[in-house]
Amino acid sequence: MSDLDKAIAQLRACRPIPEAQVRELCYKARELLIEEGNVVGVDAPVTICGDIHGQFHDLMELFRVGGDVPDTNYLFMGDFVDRGFYSLESFLLLLCLKVRYPDRITLIRGNHESRQITTVYGFYDECLRKYGSANVWRYCCDVFDYLALGALVTGASTKLEATGAGFAESYPQNSMPADDLDIEIEILNSNGDIMNRFPRSQPQAPSTPKPEPSSSPILGTPARTGPAGTGASGSSSGSLSNDGGAVLCVHGGLSPLIDTVDKIRLLDRKQEVPHEGAMCDLLWSDPDEIDGWGLSPRGAGFLFGADIVKHFNHKNDISLIARAHQLVMEGFKEMFDSTIVTVWSAPNYCYRCGNVAAILELGEDGSNGGYVARSNGDAGRKAEREPRGAPGRRYRVFEAAPQDSRGMPAKKPVADYFL
Amino acid sequence: MAGSRTQNWQSLGVLDSTTDHEFAIPVKRINDGDDVSFFLTSKAYKDIMTFLLQLNASMFPRKSKVEESQADLLQTWELGSPDIEFSSTVMKLGELMVKLSEFIEEAPPDTGPRRFGNVSFRKWYELVNSRTSALLDDYLPPKVLQRHSNSPDGVTAKEEIQAYLLGSFGSAQRLDYGTGHELSFLAFLGCIWKLGGFANAEPGVEERGIVLGIIEPYLQLVRRLILTYTLEPAGSHGVWGLDDHSFLPYIFGSAQLSPAISNVADIPTEGSLPSAPEPGDVAKVAAVERERGTNMYFSAIGFIYDVKKGPFWEHSPILFDVSGVKAGWAKINKGMLKMYNAEVLSKFPVVQHFPFGSLFLWEKDPTAVAAPSSVHTSSHPAKPTGQMNAAILRDPMQEGTRAPCPVGIKPIYKCIKTRSWWAACDDGAMGSATWFEPAIC
Repeated sequence: MSDLDKAIAQLRACRPIPEAQVRELCYKARELLIEEGNVVGVDAPVTICGDIHGQFHDLMELFRVGGDVPDTNYLFMGDFVDRGFYSLESFLLLLCLKVRYPDRITLIRGNHESRQITTVYGFYDECLRKYGSANVWRYCCDVFDYLALGALVTGASTKLEATGAGFAESYPQNSMPADDLDIEIEILNSNGDIMNRFPRSQPQAPSTPKPEPSSSPILGTPARTGPAGTGASGSSSGSLSNDGGAVLCVHGGLSPLIDTVDKIRLLDRKQEVPHEGAMCDLLWSDPDEIDGWGLSPRGAGFLFGADIVKHFNHKNDISLIARAHQLVMEGFKEMFDSTIVTVWSAPNYCYRCGNVAAILELGEDGSNGGYVARSNGDAGRKAEREPRGAPGRRYRVFEAAPQDSRGMPAKKPVADYFL
Repeated sequence: MAGSRTQNWQSLGVLDSTTDHEFAIPVKRINDGDDVSFFLTSKAYKDIMTFLLQLNASMFPRKSKVEESQADLLQTWELGSPDIEFSSTVMKLGELMVKLSEFIEEAPPDTGPRRFGNVSFRKWYELVNSRTSALLDDYLPPKVLQRHSNSPDGVTAKEEIQAYLLGSFGSAQRLDYGTGHELSFLAFLGCIWKLGGFANAEPGVEERGIVLGIIEPYLQLVRRLILTYTLEPAGSHGVWGLDDHSFLPYIFGSAQLSPAISNVADIPTEGSLPSAPEPGDVAKVAAVERERGTNMYFSAIGFIYDVKKGPFWEHSPILFDVSGVKAGWAKINKGMLKMYNAEVLSKFPVVQHFPFGSLFLWEKDPTAVAAPSSVHTSSHPAKPTGQMNAAILRDPMQEGTRAPCPVGIKPIYKCIKTRSWWAACDDGAMGSATWFEPAIC
């Protein structure tokens, strides 16, 4: 067993690795990440994950539900650290997996992967508490500077391959789509049972309302109106069937300074997250029910509306933007006619928010022998095209990991205010 | 009793009603880290601390000699105790909190789809906003509200203080609540104090009324708002903050459990009231349930149990650490005050929203000692804006090889190299390449 495998085993048991090993790990990770572009190319199949925020046991639950690395190909959209108790263990495990299986896991940067933010929101305190010095925090921050800003998933299938899954008890019996329908969205619970599925609307009949899904039996939360995750958007019709375009993954969203994916590629990313500008916006912005651009109440990044997303996607031959950054009670939320989705992977956020988490699986399009010629995010296509159909989306929804197995700490160091 | 603070009863000054005063609509002044440094030397800061310490001192149990008896008479100040005197102003403001709570019935939580915070909070807030003027008329004595500025068309006292009341219940835009809003309520009460709205009683009597008769009902209201509208913790540090929303109940609640004093000059820095629960009891559900009805500290802890799921030591490690303090509740009280100073009053993300007027003045306090520049004041937040200056943008990594330890103001735990509980059980592993085994997992 190599040292790296040992470190992975130790971290999987939620035990931090020694400082010297962190240093070595971070050095190796940096060498690897420096070779990646600002926008990493990722081939489907891939499982896309949102914020983790140091919720280590829930990250383990995520791997249980979504499959282990390297069996499953993962893309994490940042915010590994801060707020949770185990940011250190969570980030170091992901980093070890990245170094061990570089082609099976992609990590991109969130707004919390920053020196300034981590000094305020907990990761710095956690490193100091767990190691007695800030060295490990410093090594990790150096890695943050090398994380990619986005990823472009290509080769995703518009069709969802059957998983052979059964139906959850909560599945609405009267709304079961016929087997021959083209399923665009499927929602599975943490046991892998189908909670709901939505057929792709036919271009001739785009307004077919989707059956009302109910995730409440497993969520324990009040039933909501729209489809789970699409509810608030009111967009229950999904997208039109078509060739799958690329999926752009960023932590926050779009920037008024970025109209093409290529412009992201031109940024100098190897720095602390700036307080303004394109790099800042990609990590901080949020979609909102507005026209055009708006000021963000966060004080960084912008709000952007459906028109911005649709124009960007069309111009860049992108069918879907996947992003994280915002807590959503049902784990995911599609907006703007399924042109953008928020994926949130920290269940019962901060031990109290009562939300479920989700991950998004995109299947591989095997219909053309795996050959992917389109949708590489190129801008400036002259030919008029139909909007790309979004790829088939399988959301796996899960709750917080059980807590009874966690031991009680033996000692309580006292903060110096109280010395 | 080891160690005692020598401190005379200091209280916030009351404005002389016979002299001219120019009221002002409060405005935000803190735009960057340097402004935080200035704030810490301002008259407003001094007044906030004076008022806070004054309220804190009043919550220590009292002992008095009873004639023809050897034993001291011991008096504690528990929630709901019939021995606390409430002046008419205290009672009215306590009723105001109940009234504001009733507005929740008029703004029931929205049942439609939502991301997290419930948008109906904006309705509740708008109800309060539209009724504030009338409410203040109903619940505060006219002598407080109707004081006019010297100039005929100047601002009234009422206009000045209502800004602080409206700032006390969270952000309607962001649907969140945090210690900055709590600070605004403290300032609201400080304004009324300065305007002579509270009874001129024996030192400590009115203050106890303020804490138990107004602040506790305020905290009850806030907890109800948080639960009803799922308000997000404003700028939460997650598990690495003391509490997602509140700070004051930990200060006043620890004072309630500290040793009894004869006068404020004897405020102890160690020890506990003999009948007090152990600090470690916060981790015991039954003890918390027993104490939360009488003590503000346990009341706040009880609310954490209400809203958080998981092991206490994991979701509230700072409070868990504090529960290991051996030197008693007076020590915890002192620590809480230091921590409030460092983590609330010295933090840009919190105090940037605090507005300054004629009562809380944005003016240098001539008696203040210049605070050294601190990472507290510069560790900048999730709200970078274009207006920030170099102090705020300073990269902690460029401050030499030292970690960005908050220095200055007060000794801060971050500077001390504490080994964690699991690290401590494996001597010699720290910083070496050997594998060490933590006590858990």
